Amino acid sequence: MTTTTLADLDHARSIALDLSGWGRRFNFYQPRNCAFWGYLVLVGIGILVYVARLARKYDAYGEAIGLAVTSFAFYAALFWWFTQYIDHYAKLPAKLMVVAFLWGGFAATGAMAANANDAILAIYAKVFGQVWALNWGAGLAAPFTEEPAKGSGLLLLIALAPRHIRTAFDGLILGAFIGLGFQIVEDISYALTSAGSQFGANQIGASIGTIAVRMVSGVAAHALYSAIFCAGLVYLLGRPAEPRKVGRGLLLVAIPMLLHGIWDSLASIAGPSTLALLGLLIAVIVVALAIGVRVYTLTVKREQDFVRDVMAPEAARDVITEAELVAVSGNRKARKTYRKSGRDRRERKRARYVLNAVYGLADDLAAARGADTDRVRFARAEIARIRAGGAPPPR
Amino acid sequence: MPDPETDNSSATSAVRFEPDEGWVPADMRFLGVDRRTIAPTLAVFALAVVMSVALPVINAKVPYHDVVKVGDVIELQGGVTFVPDVGWGITSGVRAGQAPLSGEYPATASVEQGALEFRVHTGQFDGDANQLLDQIETTSGAINHGRGVHMTGAHTTIVTDQGKQGATARVTGPHTGGVIAAFVFEGRGVEAVATGPSDAGAEPAAAALRMIRSISRLGDGKR
Repeated sequence: MTTTTLADLDHARSIALDLSGWGRRFNFYQPRNCAFWGYLVLVGIGILVYVARLARKYDAYGEAIGLAVTSFAFYAALFWWFTQYIDHYAKLPAKLMVVAFLWGGFAATGAMAANANDAILAIYAKVFGQVWALNWGAGLAAPFTEEPAKGSGLLLLIALAPRHIRTAFDGLILGAFIGLGFQIVEDISYALTSAGSQFGANQIGASIGTIAVRMVSGVAAHALYSAIFCAGLVYLLGRPAEPRKVGRGLLLVAIPMLLHGIWDSLASIAGPSTLALLGLLIAVIVVALAIGVRVYTLTVKREQDFVRDVMAPEAARDVITEAELVAVSGNRKARKTYRKSGRDRRERKRARYVLNAVYGLADDLAAARGADTDRVRFARAEIARIRAGGAPPPR
Repeated sequence: MPDPETDNSSATSAVRFEPDEGWVPADMRFLGVDRRTIAPTLAVFALAVVMSVALPVINAKVPYHDVVKVGDVIELQGGVTFVPDVGWGITSGVRAGQAPLSGEYPATASVEQGALEFRVHTGQFDGDANQLLDQIETTSGAINHGRGVHMTGAHTTIVTDQGKQGATARVTGPHTGGVIAAFVFEGRGVEAVATGPSDAGAEPAAAALRMIRSISRLGDGKR
């Protein structure tokens, strides 16, 4: 029987922290990094193009722009909260997520995909005719322009933050933010187009339907596609904590492109029947979400292993219990089992607080690279206090 | 389980020094920059150039020939149609009877011949033709701020071959002149704009008027 010593566990923690990049600070300003300048140039061009467009149309469609920007800002905030909710593990710095969001919103759209889409649609119309282009143009253009444009941002992000982006799960989360940025900016553009559809009259009425549809359909659109694509990209490239798996990578890159193509061709596939269109739309959303959940469970395993390696020494030192270790390094079901183990409502509530405090300790340990700092000691004391039902420290 | 004999080992171990992200190993520098970051950046720039430069250039090089033949009718959303002049090129929009698979015709169509362009757009509108023309003037004025092509002069009345009464006005811009017309078919507005060089002569103007007068809505006579 193998005996695991505390030294072994501490060593495993050290390796997990090194491999995962968890807790490291991200510094965006890196003048000696080509990716920094490349990012600035392409995002800068995208911002200029987009702001110029909005500014030019603001006097005509100010109401619709205001409504769209406000609505989609709330939508983005909701999505941000959701990604924080699903990412319990080796968290990426918020700054990196903002950098990803801006790439998707401005570089991938205005500096890349928008130009390519226009050109490809026009070429399709010239070569295959207007009707064919209307039927299949969008479905055979966007997957080949928008997905690579968004995904290419991850290449720059890896060059900017090689110590942070270590797993396919990191690709999944950053891809989701790249896609979210793209989606928000694209949705505002669609709302703007709708505002002009009635010659600029009744622009709120004309755009609100588009905003609602884009919000509902957005749950399984760009953010999800890019998340899967970027997870695939990490498998394709390989990272220190994620061995290269070319087959899986290619599959995950191809799936969102296929979903995107089908999504953009829904009206043509369904034909004139509204019922068929609605049924197909729901089916594609369900399939996309199911694939998203599958990729999440596939990629999150490594992150859960990191949490277990980082927190195992705490369990061995009786800072946390074995049950808490299983819960924080497990999935939603494991956390739920732990919470439900309380005898009454009060205990179950306290169990939730304890779990949050354990996650806090994990983050503090990662930031301290496993060292026994004042902050780490305080986080340990907090777990003990909450578990004992003690009063919080005075504000 | 941890071995009790070695459990006294401290959790505090010396944290390995890690330079900040801006640091570049001496053997990885090329002209001061981190050479490991050159390839990914170039790859992304290459993709950006393909998308923003190469594809538009290819599009500009691909010739386009979809010329209007005798009997062609262009159909737009809501059953709005017009008859383009024979010989003009269809740059957007589809012929009546060739609906996309969705069954929905596009809201905009345009035809052109040389520097002359004729564009028709349709959308919902509550009001009459003069109000639609006012709305178009307000919106385009807010977008263009007096620059580019803009409406000049008072509205005049125009009647289509189908007998539908609309409103029309002249449009002018730098070296450009033309006419804009507006019709409203029971809640569906139609905007038609014909533009060309200001010295284009009488025939283009006559062609534009012919196409404007051909605007109709399927089944409108029955309504």
